[in-house]
Amino acid sequence: MQIFIQQLVNSLSVASVTILIGIGITLIFGLAGIVNFAHGEFLMVGGMVTWFLVVSGLNFFVALVGAMILVGALGFAAERGLFRFTLDRPMNGFIMSIGLSVILQHVVIRLFNEVQKTIPDPISGVWMVGGVDIIAMRAVVVGITVIVVAITYLAISRSRYGMALKASIADPDTAALMGIPVRRYVTGVFVYGSVLAGLGGALMIALFPITPFTGSVVIIRGFAVSLIGGLGNVGGAVLGGLILGLVDGLSAQYGYPEWTDAYSLVVMIVILIVRPQGLLGGTLGPRAT
Amino acid sequence: MLKLGVALAVGASIALAAQAVFAQDRELKIGVVAAESGSFVSAGNTIVAAAKLAAKQINDAGGVKIGGATYKINLYIRDNRTDVNVTIAAARELVDDVGVKAIWGTETHDFSISMAKITGASKVLQFSGNSSLGAVLDDKAVAPGGWLHYTFQTEPQEWQRSGSTAKGVLALLTPLLPQAPKHSVVFVGNDATGQYLSSHYVKALEANGQQVDLVKYPPDTTDFSPLLTRIKGLKPDIVHFWYNGDSTLTAFPQALKLDVAPAYFLFGVDPGIYAERRLKSDKPVTLSCVPVCWGASPYPAVQDYFKQYFDLGAAKGPQSSVSLLYYDYFFMYAKALEQVGSLDNPDAVVDAILKMKYQGVVSPVPLSFNDHHQVTFATEVCLVQPDTSDQFKTAVQQPPPAPPPGDPGG
Repeated sequence: MQIFIQQLVNSLSVASVTILIGIGITLIFGLAGIVNFAHGEFLMVGGMVTWFLVVSGLNFFVALVGAMILVGALGFAAERGLFRFTLDRPMNGFIMSIGLSVILQHVVIRLFNEVQKTIPDPISGVWMVGGVDIIAMRAVVVGITVIVVAITYLAISRSRYGMALKASIADPDTAALMGIPVRRYVTGVFVYGSVLAGLGGALMIALFPITPFTGSVVIIRGFAVSLIGGLGNVGGAVLGGLILGLVDGLSAQYGYPEWTDAYSLVVMIVILIVRPQGLLGGTLGPRAT
Repeated sequence: MLKLGVALAVGASIALAAQAVFAQDRELKIGVVAAESGSFVSAGNTIVAAAKLAAKQINDAGGVKIGGATYKINLYIRDNRTDVNVTIAAARELVDDVGVKAIWGTETHDFSISMAKITGASKVLQFSGNSSLGAVLDDKAVAPGGWLHYTFQTEPQEWQRSGSTAKGVLALLTPLLPQAPKHSVVFVGNDATGQYLSSHYVKALEANGQQVDLVKYPPDTTDFSPLLTRIKGLKPDIVHFWYNGDSTLTAFPQALKLDVAPAYFLFGVDPGIYAERRLKSDKPVTLSCVPVCWGASPYPAVQDYFKQYFDLGAAKGPQSSVSLLYYDYFFMYAKALEQVGSLDNPDAVVDAILKMKYQGVVSPVPLSFNDHHQVTFATEVCLVQPDTSDQFKTAVQQPPPAPPPGDPGG
């Protein structure tokens, strides 16, 4: 029983970083209509910036804010400089994003070399609760994820801007006629998703070492989460992340350990067959006009 | 008079052109195929760095004297992007278009075998530090006309490496544990290399009295906590992290936090990177290197090598010592070319290498290849003193005389 509970705690921790990646992707993919495969590299850049700032002497949480700002700026530049020209042709944007991901990997290798980067634990310590190990930094990551989810959910479902954003997705032409600056909303969503990638990268390097290739590993799970939950649906991304985390934790314990990734992807495939629109429903994603 | 002047001018031009051609011919073309990007980059870059250091040292010392002429090594380095298709394309280009005489690489076991299909057919020598070549380097393959006649395995056979490693790890850890360890878990990446290497290491541990559980993880795993929790539930005496240094350096700190086992062994992690990362454990930790330890080797030649290696700009990575699976063989190859006196007689070069005993950096005992083109040397295993990051006790462990029961050798 103790091991089972430990795996549930592990699942929550695994889910947190996945949810942060998934929310960014689901917003950009589902609401802005851009398939950005370089989103994983945005996360990696966030981790590398955090590493650089921490080894330069800055406090981790200051470095985290720095990573969010820098990756947000990177997102702004990418959207304005690249993706805005592909909004009518999402496949072009998709291919472009693959190129961007390779370029970002090589830029990071050129700047910081290829060697794995790590930082000292920003918050160290392990709490033992009822025989279950709770790693302090992981608990902090879970807490930050909960806050980010709450803010994002409220901003999209309750605020005036969120309503306008939904209107822009549902019918861009009518929304524009109503005075909603649709293009600016697209940029805003892209930048916000990028900021979350920066946050995800900063939190990731607080937990694990990262390399210039970390992004290409996490991106698949990010897309899986956004599709499982429903494109553009923040609650769906949370649900998707929790499901994948749970599958990871329980399959590692009770299944073939080397198949852990496969179990997660099988779950995704089954869900997409049964519920093509995702568990909580969402947008149809990018459409060529 | 005018005619004589024209004739002299033409003669001088021809002489200059011939000299230019002759000078151009004095280039010894050597290919290097290694992962300078992709998931194997931390191992791949060590090959490139070792090749650059060896080439520089040979060239600075006057080059390679072959048949009365002096040749300078020119490296043709190709990034295989940790992709087998790119590896094959790079080998094809180096062999067919560039015309290299030998290729060093790759660090990825199964890629090297693919590459050997190309080098062998073109009589280009290949030096690969992959123990899995042992599965195919048999009498027929290495015989003249065989597809691996020109391929050399610059890493000991896996049963030898696994045997010396297992014995060294248990010898260092046993005195520090309350009771003799009986139960080991081998934790390994589930890829071709991991499967091959762990199959030998499990047998080696069993031959040393261990009951072994093998737990494989998907190669790109980042969060190891669910798998480590499972291992903790198995109540092992020792967890052996095998073989990918980057993955080990990701998983090991997580294992410490979850208090998975009373002792650990980290394969393919140099003491130098353990110290750089300031890792610390109150549990006994052993490290072994591929093949000798950057940061803790007792041999001055090894210490001097790593100083020069890093001075040349090589990155300090988890597997910097992998470079020593490639470095010495440049000098062996150069020596063999000098003995043969020709660049264009690869069969004679192969014979010369097989007869050679070369005193290199990687081993205090002279290096030599056996009939299957495989080299043998000892493994260094280090114990990290508890609660320190940079205090090591190093033991040099010789390989066992024969494969353990159940190990087919190779």
